[in-house]
Amino acid sequence: MAEGASSGRPLSPHLQIWRFTVTMAASITHRAAGVAMYGGTLLLTLWLVALAVSDGAHAFVSTVTQSPLGFIIIAAFVWSLCFHLMNGLRYLYWDSGRGFALKTARMTAWLVYGASVILAAGILWAGYAAAGGA
Amino acid sequence: MSKKGTSAFVIQRASAVILIPFAVWLLFNVVALFGDDYYSARVWLSDPVNSLALGGFLIVAAVHMRIGMMEIIVDYIHSWLRDVLLLLNWLFSLGVIAAVIWAVYTLSFAG
Repeated sequence: MAEGASSGRPLSPHLQIWRFTVTMAASITHRAAGVAMYGGTLLLTLWLVALAVSDGAHAFVSTVTQSPLGFIIIAAFVWSLCFHLMNGLRYLYWDSGRGFALKTARMTAWLVYGASVILAAGILWAGYAAAGGA
Repeated sequence: MSKKGTSAFVIQRASAVILIPFAVWLLFNVVALFGDDYYSARVWLSDPVNSLALGGFLIVAAVHMRIGMMEIIVDYIHSWLRDVLLLLNWLFSLGVIAAVIWAVYTLSFAG
């Protein structure tokens, strides 16, 4: 951090000195979900490449995607994208200069947490129900 | 530098707007495809409408995530490691884009 100060560039807020608010939680979750999807994109790309390579390569990747651990990774990815998507809409709304009132910002942050869980659950349910018949 | 910052700001929002309408469609289909056998998944991806939408989403997502990760690196890494990570971030995103293009070509257009 000291090096950053000497370079004259603005420093990011220290995560640990902030009082908990739902708006800061949404901001941190937005980034964490983005980072999680960064890793998830590697897995998604490997799966797509495996499908293009051969039956055997796909079978190898499927031992992961169709395992309990695979379900946890898939569910985490789906919720991450749902959260990032909905909170991203909230940010785009902010970009239009609206939604900044403290009460509104708090309310929409809670809304994003709740709605993202519902959307993710719905997508997982529909996706698994459709598997095998796609 | 300020001009680069402005274009990253614009590209990040433009890519978000492109990704939003496809996101739910992508998640539903990918979750379903993970449960499919090899043949069913290949059939679905042999349709260029599906493979180009999926591939296009991943390419725009790679552009979006490079900028997002760049912002995090610039925010928190203040040593020589920053340049190394920024380079790796570029290479990772380019690698994803190249792999996706190859896979989409092989799945829908080759043979």
